[in-house]
Amino acid sequence: MLEVQNIHTFIGQFHILEGVSLTVPAGSIVALLGRNGAGKTTTLKSVLGLTPPRAGKIIFNGQEIQGRRSFDIAALGIGFVPEHRAIFRDLSVAENLRIAERRKGDFARKEAFIFSLFPDLQRLIKLSGANLSGGQQQMLAVARALVPDNKLLLIDEPSEGLAPVIIEQMMEAIRQLSAETTVLLVEQNFIVASRLAQHYVIIEEGRSVQHGLMADLVNDKETIHRYLGAA
Amino acid sequence: METLRKNRTRLITLAALAFLFVTALQGMESEDWAITVLRGLSVGAVTFLVAAGLSLILGLMDVLNLAHGELFMVGAYVGWTVYVRPDTFIDVLPPLLLLAAGLALMPWQRALLSRLSLSPQVARLWPWAALAAALATLALTLPRFPLAIWNPDAFAQSPGAFALALDQGTLQMPAAAVFTEIAPIAGILGVLLGGALLGAAIVGLGLRRGGGAPTARLPRRPLLWAAALAAAGVAFYAGNDPLTAALFTMNSTARFFLSMAVATGVGFVLGGLIESTLIRPLYDRPIYQIMLTLGLSFIGVELVRAIWGRPEFTMPKAALFNGTGDGCPAVTLSDLLAHQCSTILLFDGRIRTYNEVFIILVGVIVLVAVWLLLQRTRLGMIIRAGVQDAEMVEALGINVRRVFTLVFALGVALAALGGVLAAPSIGLSNDMGTRLLLLALIALAIGGLTSFPGAAAGAVLVGLLQQFIIKYGQIGINLPFLAEPFKPSPPLVPASTVLLMVIILLILPNGLFGRNE
Repeated sequence: MLEVQNIHTFIGQFHILEGVSLTVPAGSIVALLGRNGAGKTTTLKSVLGLTPPRAGKIIFNGQEIQGRRSFDIAALGIGFVPEHRAIFRDLSVAENLRIAERRKGDFARKEAFIFSLFPDLQRLIKLSGANLSGGQQQMLAVARALVPDNKLLLIDEPSEGLAPVIIEQMMEAIRQLSAETTVLLVEQNFIVASRLAQHYVIIEEGRSVQHGLMADLVNDKETIHRYLGAA
Repeated sequence: METLRKNRTRLITLAALAFLFVTALQGMESEDWAITVLRGLSVGAVTFLVAAGLSLILGLMDVLNLAHGELFMVGAYVGWTVYVRPDTFIDVLPPLLLLAAGLALMPWQRALLSRLSLSPQVARLWPWAALAAALATLALTLPRFPLAIWNPDAFAQSPGAFALALDQGTLQMPAAAVFTEIAPIAGILGVLLGGALLGAAIVGLGLRRGGGAPTARLPRRPLLWAAALAAAGVAFYAGNDPLTAALFTMNSTARFFLSMAVATGVGFVLGGLIESTLIRPLYDRPIYQIMLTLGLSFIGVELVRAIWGRPEFTMPKAALFNGTGDGCPAVTLSDLLAHQCSTILLFDGRIRTYNEVFIILVGVIVLVAVWLLLQRTRLGMIIRAGVQDAEMVEALGINVRRVFTLVFALGVALAALGGVLAAPSIGLSNDMGTRLLLLALIALAIGGLTSFPGAAAGAVLVGLLQQFIIKYGQIGINLPFLAEPFKPSPPLVPASTVLLMVIILLILPNGLFGRNE
């Protein structure tokens, strides 16, 4: 589905990614792990061309997409749920969803599925984005990425700043939506990541250093300790 | 507390209006008061047309377009030309359309030229050769295109006399200009070729800097565009005489609406060109943007001086707003429509149909139209979202750059419309843009910079205050601690608007409708 080959990304003068490679098999959830500032978010943004890589290749569904404009890349079927949700405050919940339509009627087609994942949103549909709680914003951000027919979702820190009950709800939603789309997930909370993802990639100081099956990583206490800090 | 803060805006707006009205009623006849309010709204409407574009552009692109006032002025001068000298307007169209046709080929040329593999030497040199050839061709043909020149020195051509003769049908039709030194076909083909060469040169210079990989196939759309533009150019050239005659025999009301439409359209195209060629490369460099738009405003003034010459013009009002005689000033709406009166009787005072009714009407129509565009359409939704986070909009798969160009063009179109709208009432001059830009910036600061309703509210407040101070300059204001009525002197007029801004910003640092960021 997605193959990132040795990309190098600069932000201003700073060499943020110094060789990240990863593979996301179709139909799976891949967790991107690493400490704060390792380059996980930049990796997602590089895939989408928001911080275009200067070197390396990114292949999505057999096409090379590095160097293309972001809207062009997204239109190939990549949805983005950014770290701080980026809900449009001046738009209502309904507008926040409809703005993501790529073809007319996308929202109507997906409405039932989206509301089955996030029943709360149906109730809030007329509210403005500014009036949502953190958890509601997170649900809306994920829902927004589901409106068009995206083949791949890039989800950044879905559990950040949320109450445990909401995290459970969010995990359940991500598990359900992964039946339809492939997910590349950035997650600080290792428990959440390990329960959702089948594969993992660890990034350390801008380099991808290790990857494999999540089931193997869970038992590899040493690796967890070395790269992620937590045990 | 939260509700109080939310309604603070409304409370303060209401307080300001109440204050204005109380002081207004004190010592002012009701007809004076009504007329002053209408004049204030009229100034507010024109200011709003400039401020609206400024605020949309500032909100979406973070570009403070200091050339906006000059674009307002360009709108006025273009509208004036279409209105008073339609022959010149028709004469200008063919060369411009043919040049645009040549330049429209650029995407096609880029695709074609990027396939050639040339030796570095040739690749380095040919764009310059093409540029020289383009400039030579254009220099030979473009200035020889026949153009009915407006001569500001001839008194017989003064706008007032001209328009009067037009309306009475006594105008001596100006002699049609024709190609003199070269054959028409040579002129037409020359400009077309010159435009295409110029486009090729620009493409060549761009390719040399490594722009663009070879594309799979040649795009067909530029060819269609070029063909359409060239055909339009030739059609305007061939149909020059009947078109000119048609415009000259058209009644002045229709010609005025046409000039409004043309000025708005020219503003739209000009705005699109400025954004896509000049502003786009500078989105990451705010200081350069300011310098660019400031420079553009100077260029605008000098360009208008160079083209239109005389420093000041008047624009005669269209027949629809100029009726006198029987049944005027109008008392009822049917009178007004039947006699097309220039004035209306209101509270025993006379208000001018154009200045105090039509301008406000257009302002309100634009306000509602833009509001509907922002709230009810997908484009408006994208604009509102883009104001907050353009990157996220792009990440949803929306071409934000195209929206930027569109909004810039729209903003400039509104300013140009404001220009032609204001021209019959305030006249045309080289400094009309600068003056209005200042007023619009103050209105913007009062309203909260990037808020569209804020721009409207700020513009209305500024207009009202300005007109009331002017009125008090004539009749004097009774202040409790002064024996004589106080008469604000003319310099206090601009000062008062700045003072209003200072007061409002002291109470509400983000302006009336501004958001805490």
